[in-house]
Amino acid sequence: MKKTKRSIPVEFILMILSLALFGAFVLFVRHYYARILDAAENDSTAPYHTYSRQYEMIADSRSNTFWQAVYDRASLEAAESDAYLSLNQTGWNTDFDKLDYIDMFIAARADGIILEYNGEEGLAEKIDEAVEQGIPVVTIINDPNRTRRQSFVGVNDYQLGNAYGAEVARLADENTHNILVLSNREKELEKNQMYAQIYKAVTDAHPGQNIRVKEQNLNSRGQFDVEEAVRNIFQSAEGMPEILVCLDEVTTECAYQAMVDFNMVGEVRIIGFYTSDTILDAVQKGLIPVTIYMDADQIGTYCIEALTEYAETGRTNTYYTVDLHAMTTEDLQTAEEEELSGEVQDE
Amino acid sequence: MSKKRQGLHWQDIPLTTKVLLMVTLVTLLMFFANLILYLQVNRLTERLQQVYTSNISLTELSETLDDVHTNTYNYLLVKSSDTLESYYKSEEDYRSLLSGLNDTVTDNPVMLLEKNIRRMSESYLKETENAITYKRGRNVEKYRQSFSNAGRLYEYLNTWIDELNNRQFRNNSDSFVSLQRAVRPMAAVSTALIMVMMGVNTLMLYFMLRGIVRPLSDLATTARIVGEGNFHVKMPPTDSRDEVGVVTRTFNTMVSSLEDYMRLSRENLEKEQQMKERQLMMEASLKEAQLKYLQSQINPHFLFNSLNAGAQLAMMEDAEQTSIFVQRMADFFRYNVKKGTEDATLQEEVEAVENYIYILNVRFAGDIHFYKEIDESVLSCRVPSMILQPVVENAVTHGIRNIEWEGRIDLTVAGEDGMIRISVKDNGKGIAPEKIREILSGEDGRNEEVMPSQDSTGIGLRNVIRRLELYYEKTGLMEILSGGENQGTEVIIRIPWNT
Repeated sequence: MKKTKRSIPVEFILMILSLALFGAFVLFVRHYYARILDAAENDSTAPYHTYSRQYEMIADSRSNTFWQAVYDRASLEAAESDAYLSLNQTGWNTDFDKLDYIDMFIAARADGIILEYNGEEGLAEKIDEAVEQGIPVVTIINDPNRTRRQSFVGVNDYQLGNAYGAEVARLADENTHNILVLSNREKELEKNQMYAQIYKAVTDAHPGQNIRVKEQNLNSRGQFDVEEAVRNIFQSAEGMPEILVCLDEVTTECAYQAMVDFNMVGEVRIIGFYTSDTILDAVQKGLIPVTIYMDADQIGTYCIEALTEYAETGRTNTYYTVDLHAMTTEDLQTAEEEELSGEVQDE
Repeated sequence: MSKKRQGLHWQDIPLTTKVLLMVTLVTLLMFFANLILYLQVNRLTERLQQVYTSNISLTELSETLDDVHTNTYNYLLVKSSDTLESYYKSEEDYRSLLSGLNDTVTDNPVMLLEKNIRRMSESYLKETENAITYKRGRNVEKYRQSFSNAGRLYEYLNTWIDELNNRQFRNNSDSFVSLQRAVRPMAAVSTALIMVMMGVNTLMLYFMLRGIVRPLSDLATTARIVGEGNFHVKMPPTDSRDEVGVVTRTFNTMVSSLEDYMRLSRENLEKEQQMKERQLMMEASLKEAQLKYLQSQINPHFLFNSLNAGAQLAMMEDAEQTSIFVQRMADFFRYNVKKGTEDATLQEEVEAVENYIYILNVRFAGDIHFYKEIDESVLSCRVPSMILQPVVENAVTHGIRNIEWEGRIDLTVAGEDGMIRISVKDNGKGIAPEKIREILSGEDGRNEEVMPSQDSTGIGLRNVIRRLELYYEKTGLMEILSGGENQGTEVIIRIPWNT
């Protein structure tokens, strides 16, 4: 009987063990299945956040990283004002052009459109149509003057001419005779003022010197046109200009690549646009002496500011000016040194 | 026992309930484990199914959109009530499908696409509606324009639905792969866990049942030992109120009762044995006494009859003294013959003594002075027969016979403290203390010595003592006092005074 007395706790230990096992089993099953279901989660089942407004940003895919930077900033700002911003880019992966996109978002009744205006035919009318349908439009980079767009965010030709002019003047020397400005735009957007400013700046800096400022509009519509056009320039019989001014990111990268490929480093000086990784790398190595860039954060912020203000008050600034900066090899080296010394101090 | 602490008295639950509880517990545990597993697998299966339903519904949406567009076109082509009806039907279908799509702005690309499709579809339906209306109003320019607009939106819609479908498909494929990958180890681990649980539950059941059965087998073992005659083993006391507890307590009570009963039986047997023995001894002593009488039977019987005749003769001859003498002798012998086998009253005993003394005095010319002091109240008391006369005879034979001085015998019978004290005192030769001890302990051969004597009735002191002891079932009833040589002797008999 004593044995029995000892054996009774055994059954209760086993009972507790059994219950514990059961609990462990339940926990395991629940946890495991939750994990499986989590793993199986996708866009359609993932948790999401809802917003009260939907903004659409329409841009070219030509300046991928630049637009991505603008979009990143703008979507953060949008989220803060309870709106969701999508980025729609024309390019290789879609048959739609900007007209199509505007049509679509008019039909889908978006709450605001941010448009990189490029002077495309019919785009100005589409902007007006959207505005008529009650969808505010903010244009960026280029300003369609004769439209009813709510606001413009970007730089004007004067600013641009000043910035480029200053850099051209700085880079030009006594051997500089030809300056080629490579633009990539619709015919409508003539930038004569800008060329005039570049010309004025460079001739002011080098008076009496025979300097010609030429403009070539690549006006590319196809996918690889820019690359081919730039290479053609490098192979042209006329010979290369001493200074090549690029007004967008893709042109800059193509020109840089062509310069390296044709072994013309030092013979051609490129003034780039924007600060993609490739361009920054080239600037740091001194292969591109300077690059001009717009403040992408400012663009993103102002776009959303304009749309939010319009949504809330029914009116907004018609013009937001963003800052233009120039980044030179020296700037980058200084920054690097500062960073290094900062790290040393940290240590 | 550990359950006691919980307030629930496990040991008090009937066995059936106990076993039922255990089996139910085990069954429930297994049932719920399986249920949970089943539910989860079910959920997973649903999830797997859900992977493809979204694609299916999108295909349906796309097909219905096609219908709407075709029907619009057909109506514009041939304005008939049939085509109009078809249009309205497909439009209704399309609208009901649309209502399943998300309509809020979210950062979830799938949902946002759904919202765009929904909103654009509404715009599209407005255009088709316009086209139909203008067609009815025969406004050719306008219905063409509207249909053209609708066509544009139709293309956008198709593109978006395709994109959504692609997205869903991509997502769902990923989900499907990860689900599939997860299910296989899940099945293995679940099976293993369930098997471990089964094992533990079986063990638990085994130990619980053993806990119930063990007291029973202990009980069986103890019962076997008791069955072999050992009443000193018992089950340890238990206060459990289940069947085993009841059986255990009943068993212990039974063993105790058995033990008591056996002890009582043994005692009774011993008592009976003793009684039988005593009876046998009594009978043996009587037989001995009777034998002694029988040896001399011829003389007393003949004498007794002759004496009676002598007494009558003496009366006829007016020899009064002789007649009395003979009569007394006859009485004495009659008493001897009559009372030889039974008990008698003290009165009869005393009379026998008187007769004996009278006979002796006649024989020995009044040499014996006999005095008696009798408490009349005790005379009716029954005593073994022939106990006084042998004592008096002893006093005469060994006490006062052949003494130089006048012999005297005192008989005193008195009741005191529930006892009767009978004293026979002589002033004869006395007895040495060793002799007294020998007589009382039965070590002397006096009986045998006495036997051949011609004057003796044949019954010795030892015989008297033995018969007294057998009769009263007591020892020390006789006491012999003597002051030593020539100091006389007193024999005292103390017997219970039973009326």
